Amino acid sequence: MIETFLQYWQFPFVRYALAVGTLIALCSSLLGVTLVLKRFSFIGDGLSHVAFGATAIAGVLRIGGDMLFVMPVTVLCAILLLRTGRGAKVKGDAAVAMVSVGALAIGYLLLNLFSSSTNLSGDVCATLFGSTSILTLQQSEVWLCAGLSVAVVALFILFYNRLFAVTFDEDFARAVGTGVERYNLLIAVVVAVIIVLAMNLVGSLLISALIIFPALSAMRLFRSFKGVTICSAALSVACALAGMLIAIVGGTPVGSTIVAVDIAAFIVCAAIEHFRK
Amino acid sequence: MKRALICLLALCLLGASALAEPVDLDLTALSGTVVYSQVYNMTQDPAAFEGMVVKLKGNLSYFKDPDTGKEYFAAVIADAAACCAQGIEFVWAGEHAFPDDYPPLDTEVTVVGTFGTYEEYGYTYLQLTDAEVTWEGV
Repeated sequence: MIETFLQYWQFPFVRYALAVGTLIALCSSLLGVTLVLKRFSFIGDGLSHVAFGATAIAGVLRIGGDMLFVMPVTVLCAILLLRTGRGAKVKGDAAVAMVSVGALAIGYLLLNLFSSSTNLSGDVCATLFGSTSILTLQQSEVWLCAGLSVAVVALFILFYNRLFAVTFDEDFARAVGTGVERYNLLIAVVVAVIIVLAMNLVGSLLISALIIFPALSAMRLFRSFKGVTICSAALSVACALAGMLIAIVGGTPVGSTIVAVDIAAFIVCAAIEHFRK
Repeated sequence: MKRALICLLALCLLGASALAEPVDLDLTALSGTVVYSQVYNMTQDPAAFEGMVVKLKGNLSYFKDPDTGKEYFAAVIADAAACCAQGIEFVWAGEHAFPDDYPPLDTEVTVVGTFGTYEEYGYTYLQLTDAEVTWEGV
């Protein structure tokens, strides 16, 4: 087993994948706790579909380095979705569902009508399920992913106390002078960045699992925000690493293998919680 | 006499191993996910693999250009999700006619050849030249 792993370790793309995958898993789990507690679990799914639509547009328009196009579009939609609470005609889950299916449909339609690719179903499948995207990253993409991941972790640590306040009680945070709108905007931007990064790891249809499962698993074991956040980060990184290693050695699809490991971890955590009672 | 025979046999074995072309990149020993990724990386940066002797397994694919009559053969490798595929063209060493000398299309073939590129119609294509082709039962 170790011999097999050492054989694969010689390939630079395997090392890139493990490094970037770990960072993405760490980022997604940190924000996952906030999103689950704020009842925004489904927003990751909606935004990932927006990212799919934006990727399709970037492909049709042949925009080189499509992350530079996909990122701003996803950030914009994240801001709009997280601000729908006040004064919006279409609110909450309805707005997320509308944007989600709308972006998915338009993206697929555009790809069908204008794509110059000879393997349309392959392109769609790779974007939706990640395929081997994480193992085919170029060095520039690795640096971009690493830089953005470090920025997300740094922002989370820097604003930990305010994010904690905004997550649990917006009214109280507002009363003590915390700029709630500003921090909600920060959460929206960071979530969008994570979604675009995680598309490489698990594909746009499976991103929600990466955000939600580690947080929910950690909540089975811990009760404090700090405990849940640390446990969620550790679980997410461990599951992503285990999933990637299984996929690399066993030849299974990377994204779905990671999610399967996340599900297994959730079942184990739920069982521990059950037997503790 | 016995000693001389053993020495001769050892020399023959050494000579045979020296004649067999060493494989620089053996993709048959890797998992499907890694093979697909490695072939993708070869298509992205072919210069890094130029001149390497590559061994790979893939499904036989055939195309004949209706204008020029030129025949193309490739070993196609699918990813784990089975939605994407990368093919590497090969040129079998020696004289071989399709379909008589080849296995049925889509048969898994093992190809060992020298990796290189060529230009055609303004595009760069990858291929394994001077290739040995085997498949189950051969």
